Amino acid sequence: MSTDDRGLVPEREHRRLSPLTPVVRAPIITLAFIGGSWQQIVNGEDIGLFAFAVLALLAVGLLWGLASWIRTKYWIDDAELRVDKGVIARQSRRIRIDRLQGVDIVQPLVARAFGLAELRFDVASGSDREGSLAFLPHQEALALRATLLRRRDDLRDDGTARTDTEQSAAPGQEPERELGRLDLGLLVASLVLSPEAIFTGVAAAAVGITFAVTGTFAVAGAILPAAIGLAIALGKRLTSYYGFRLTESAAGLHVSRGLTSLSSQTIARIRIQGLVLSEPVLWRPFGWAKLEVSVAGYASSESDRAQPSSTLMPVAPRAECVALLDHVLASSSVSSVTLTPPPRRARWLAPLSFWTLAFGYDDHLVVSRRGFFVRRLDVVPLARVQSVRVTQGPVEGRLGLADLRVDSPPGPVTVTGHLRADTLVRDQGEEVVVAGRTARRAARRIAASDPGSPASGPAKPGPAVTDPTRPLG
Amino acid sequence: MPVDDLFAPPGSAWQRVSPRLAVVRYSFVAVLAVVAAGGVVALALLVGGIPDWFLPLGLAVVVAGAVWGWWWASRSTRRWGYAEGEDELYITRGAMFRALVVVPYGRMQFVDVQAGPVEQLAGIASVHLHTAAPGTSARIPGLPAAEAARLRDRLTAMGESWAAGL
Repeated sequence: MSTDDRGLVPEREHRRLSPLTPVVRAPIITLAFIGGSWQQIVNGEDIGLFAFAVLALLAVGLLWGLASWIRTKYWIDDAELRVDKGVIARQSRRIRIDRLQGVDIVQPLVARAFGLAELRFDVASGSDREGSLAFLPHQEALALRATLLRRRDDLRDDGTARTDTEQSAAPGQEPERELGRLDLGLLVASLVLSPEAIFTGVAAAAVGITFAVTGTFAVAGAILPAAIGLAIALGKRLTSYYGFRLTESAAGLHVSRGLTSLSSQTIARIRIQGLVLSEPVLWRPFGWAKLEVSVAGYASSESDRAQPSSTLMPVAPRAECVALLDHVLASSSVSSVTLTPPPRRARWLAPLSFWTLAFGYDDHLVVSRRGFFVRRLDVVPLARVQSVRVTQGPVEGRLGLADLRVDSPPGPVTVTGHLRADTLVRDQGEEVVVAGRTARRAARRIAASDPGSPASGPAKPGPAVTDPTRPLG
Repeated sequence: MPVDDLFAPPGSAWQRVSPRLAVVRYSFVAVLAVVAAGGVVALALLVGGIPDWFLPLGLAVVVAGAVWGWWWASRSTRRWGYAEGEDELYITRGAMFRALVVVPYGRMQFVDVQAGPVEQLAGIASVHLHTAAPGTSARIPGLPAAEAARLRDRLTAMGESWAAGL
């Protein structure tokens, strides 16, 4: 991340963002300001001064945006994407294309009105997003993403497959296969059956009843803010999952969703660290489930977003989710893994969730089931296991129980064999370690032999991409 | 004796950490106890209106805490151990909540060696093994400095040979 380096001449002509960028940016800044001081508007104080401030801010925002647009340039050469930006402090960032893990396209509401989109880059580092380009015309963003991903695969294949991939598929027109689509009715129903919605409903009823009985809104002050917050959270979930669609192409899995702000995301199969199928207690009578995936390098960016970016299916009948899970894992089926329950004495430590606890593994997967309020089935491919732990607390020790934990990179998935008989746990742990070693060796052999083979063709699922969690020797 | 089987060494025996770690921890517990006792005494003497039973009770709590801390320091140090397997590093630890961690060398991202000022005085250091998973709590404290350096070099070498596709 060097600062201003005018001395270096880029290999190709630079490109610019869409000239509409400042127009889109200015209202965003203004809205943020208005959002910050709405209290004053509500109280009706200093409206004149306020309006003037907004206008001035809008003007400054436009000017700033313009200056920023003039200063922002980007270049793509064979191996690097370079982005120069910054009005006062200049910044020049270089992103190695072969290190790109994913390129997401995001369309905030205002940008969408102008047909613009933001490109976000994700690299293996896992710390934070390496950079973004905001805003580009939507078509250009799609084309750029396709170009970058194709070039990345070429770089990783050492250019062997270049000729045939370059001919195949026009930019942004990769062959895609639909894996799943969210049913809007089901989404609404599932949101109604969430703890947030039920709390909101109960709160509304409580306010209504106290009003009917006492004629005052005495309780409202206490409950309403929380209820409104929850309702907003629900609304956010609805708009962000609206139109959810999961497709698959040579580059990996694609998730596209959103009502007000469209987002589209590509997950390379090699980055998948595990999957979790969760069934909240309220959904269980209807047999609905949610499928999420742990993706290497995404975890920290998830925390500052409202929605986890790793949902493969927000809600669907369980069988559909299981089929999807098996399809994503490709190598084997979860249902073929034999799960064994813990000994009966584990009831004392897990009175509610005892009936759901189970753990098992085969040659490819290690699987655990647990949870009462949210019953979850965690699945991790053995080749992705990071480390294995056996833990035992004082009470567990007295009862002759112990936990077997399988460590995964940060994400929603954690396979844990809770409260197993401590005479078996050690052997099971060692077996998981040995099976993991074997699976990892097999995966490495495949990765070593694959990129050279032209027979696999452009449509093969998952290009030869290196495992992002592998230590960089 | 299932508990002993559960945390048994993978091969011959655990390599235990240096008893100097216990000394460092004892001194930490002692300093903490002295400070806490001083605080209790100062509170009882300087602040008005504090009941008479406060001083003996406070001191009793401090002594109980110190005794427990002492016990914990000695037991935790005796229980901490590691073993270098063919393909994995084994670590065991825990005074009350016991744990066994198995980390394949091929999963290592990097190795840290740390030594605080007191640890440096005692001539010990801790080695921390990082994988892509934050849950991997693979830390070995209280290694003699030379052993810490040896272990770091060996782990790095093992990690590299694995990454090279061995």
